[in-house]
Amino acid sequence: MKTQNKIAIEADSLSIKINNDDIVKDLSFQVKSGEIYALLGGNGAGKSTTLKTLLGFHTPTSGKAIVDGHIVSDHLAAVRNKMAYLPEAAALYPHLTARENVQYFLSLADIEKSDSEINTAFDCVALQSSAWERQMQNYSKGMRQKTAIALALLREAPIFLLDEPTSGLDPVAIDEFNQLLCELASTGATIFMVTHDVYGACQVADRIGLLRNGELVGEFSSSEGSQINTEEVHAAFAQGLPA
Amino acid sequence: MNGSYWSKVFTIAKDEWRYWLRSKLAISVLTVGLLLTLSSVIVTAINTHQLAEARASLQHDAEHRFAEQPDRHPHRMVHYGHYAFRTPSPLSMLDPGVDSYTGNSIFLEGHRQNSAMFADHRQGTALTSLGSLSPAFIVQVLAPLLLLLIGYSSISRERESKTLTFILSQGTSFFTVLQGKGLALLSVVGLIMLPMLGSGVIAVSQGESIAIVSSFFVGYAVYLLIWVLLILVLSSVFSKNSDSFTTLAFSWILLCIVMPRIASSTAANTVPAAGKLETDFAVLAELRQLGDGHNSADPAFAKLKASLLAQYDVATIEELPVNFKGIVAGASEAKLTSVLNRFAEQRMANELAQTEVSRGFGWLSPMVAIRSFSMITANTGIEIHHRFMRETETLRFDFVQALNKLHAEKLSYQDDANRGKSLKDARKARVSAENWRVLNAFKFQGDSANIRLSRSVMATLQLLIWAFGLCVLIRIIGKRVQ
Repeated sequence: MKTQNKIAIEADSLSIKINNDDIVKDLSFQVKSGEIYALLGGNGAGKSTTLKTLLGFHTPTSGKAIVDGHIVSDHLAAVRNKMAYLPEAAALYPHLTARENVQYFLSLADIEKSDSEINTAFDCVALQSSAWERQMQNYSKGMRQKTAIALALLREAPIFLLDEPTSGLDPVAIDEFNQLLCELASTGATIFMVTHDVYGACQVADRIGLLRNGELVGEFSSSEGSQINTEEVHAAFAQGLPA
Repeated sequence: MNGSYWSKVFTIAKDEWRYWLRSKLAISVLTVGLLLTLSSVIVTAINTHQLAEARASLQHDAEHRFAEQPDRHPHRMVHYGHYAFRTPSPLSMLDPGVDSYTGNSIFLEGHRQNSAMFADHRQGTALTSLGSLSPAFIVQVLAPLLLLLIGYSSISRERESKTLTFILSQGTSFFTVLQGKGLALLSVVGLIMLPMLGSGVIAVSQGESIAIVSSFFVGYAVYLLIWVLLILVLSSVFSKNSDSFTTLAFSWILLCIVMPRIASSTAANTVPAAGKLETDFAVLAELRQLGDGHNSADPAFAKLKASLLAQYDVATIEELPVNFKGIVAGASEAKLTSVLNRFAEQRMANELAQTEVSRGFGWLSPMVAIRSFSMITANTGIEIHHRFMRETETLRFDFVQALNKLHAEKLSYQDDANRGKSLKDARKARVSAENWRVLNAFKFQGDSANIRLSRSVMATLQLLIWAFGLCVLIRIIGKRVQ
């Protein structure tokens, strides 16, 4: 059930400079609650910088990053508690098992979950049970990603921020992952993802923002019952690519 | 800061321990470090206990043997001499300080001021003097290395693997992460100091002041806290493990190895002191001018002779009611002692000035600061050695002069002058053994707690300023990283 009333994430004339380079220029967009929004762009377009600004890792040079009605830089702890962040390469501890990783991060977030709830989350992300109690040093990227998603699910955060979530996953894992995102969104969770995967974005996103050289150059929306037109997005995306 | 805040800190600390316990390097370093500390504490405690007992027993024996000497000429007793031993202070089982270098016993005899003897390091080879693994050395030098080896990657590891970003994105502040990692390292500090605490309890039971023992441990805790903070600061500043390790290793070499050497060299250069040979020649030159105390006819004592004859209104020394030879021996000893004391005081003043210069380097190296603090507090610093030298000199002078007095008053000049003529005459020139009870019992006591505490103010300030500066730095880093 998608609510799509409240604004969950907003970039309001957001500009970010890093080492005097304009990485993001006057970026404005809104993501409604329950929506899947994909910020699409090539390498160096400013996608990850935007995402990290929403997480509070960068301070905007001008403009505002707003999450759940709070200006991020002013209410960092409150904002971060509302979000589950999934980095490109799931940063989990190799010396811990999947369960220990999840328990550790949950305890840092002050969330108590029983073993059976954790098992359910692992089942939900299709992480095979034989891996649950194994140290993560031999996990594949897909398995690490699944563990991180299980953690995000257990945190029950209303907002998910995903950084290139399907990068490095095999096609089957990508399909499973996209399906999971749709299920999450159907529960009312807001999903903001940055990606350069045009096809994946078109498959799951309600809206796509196209970022080029730090500027939003176009937005594409799905219509009721149909996905965003992949060819249209691809053509727009390719325009900005070097010949 | 509420309970949930601290539970996060404990969670991070607990995970750090889990990481160490699952890492072969960390567990090896921890095991070796703890075994080393434990064995050093036990070995040094046993050694110090044996030394204390041996020195007390030797002191008693020396006094007993002196008193048990048969009837003799008093001047033979002056040369028979006596031994004085410095019993180690209770805390010397943790920090032997200068005890190992300066010697712990001294042979006291007439006309000479001997150096203290039986310094372990002087007797050993250069190799063994480097290998002195006292608990103080382990905590001052090796414990920071141990903390560095297990802690250098505390924060940089999280940065390198991007887990730090992930933790922060979960709503945990960087300062909380620093506190958690710091708490884990501090628990290692606790483990290192645990065996030492046992020695502290023993020291208290041996009469050491509780305030001193407490401040001794607080000083070491602050010192290791400084290293924990330094490790956290440098591990936070660098995003690569290799960079933080290199910088920390360099810092350890600089602060624990190089800086103490620079301190000693600077002290030696800024306060030049004459060498032993040079001093010995200068002393000898002055002593020659005093005359030979064994020879009452030496022209150097003509004035003394004239004044005595005038005092007793007699024409010859044979008519004096006192033995002129004994009077000469006493006067000569007093003059000679005054010269020797002047040189000794000059040497001790130089040593103290050098020590002060060296201690000033505590502002630049916490290791130098804790070394000074530790020796002062444990009563094993240079001041104690100087006091031992002064007290034994007083003991020496008193018993030699007491024997000279016996010489002057209990033995007639005639008998004394004729003692070389025959065996019978020699026997006549003896004094009854009952008179040998001129020795004061020697029991060396360390400085009081108040004196030591006031003397350690500068080293305490040095440690506190280091800790405070690093705390401020940690707070700034904690706030800057979001």
